[in-house]
Amino acid sequence: MKQHLQRQSGVANVDVSLIDGKVEVTPKEDGQIDPAGLLKATYDSGVSVAELDMTATGKIVKDTSGNLSLQVKPNQSFVISPNELSNGLEPLVDSATVVTVRGQLYKKPVGKQNKADASAPLKLLILEVKKE
Amino acid sequence: MNRKHLALLLLAGCAFVPQLEAQIRHVEMRVEGMT
Repeated sequence: MKQHLQRQSGVANVDVSLIDGKVEVTPKEDGQIDPAGLLKATYDSGVSVAELDMTATGKIVKDTSGNLSLQVKPNQSFVISPNELSNGLEPLVDSATVVTVRGQLYKKPVGKQNKADASAPLKLLILEVKKE
Repeated sequence: MNRKHLALLLLAGCAFVPQLEAQIRHVEMRVEGMT
């Protein structure tokens, strides 16, 4: 799995902890990493992902459908799932302010019938807004 | 003329700085079935 992930573009380093099943991915400086690609690469290596969290810095924008999004690159943004923390980001929409957030991009659905779908669009559930 | 150039430089600087800072800094996954 480590080799699968290290082959992904924008990945600088992959740290795997077998004891607690934790995989930490460090992106390259100024590199564009694709979390959906990481999920797919992990599944392709035969390992199931229970949860994917990321810390990212970007601008708060609204997409064409009016959804609040975190834009990390001009061509890369993540739709934000509404919660209490995301409501606090509303005033920053389309401002030049950049914000660093920690959020959950993927969580394996609970229950036998809900199969995990790595191809589903990832939504960012904000867990923490970091003060810089 | 100089002031105009200075203002343009400042505007260009403001436009680029947030783009340089914006990036994914860290990704962490919890996985199952790893041996």
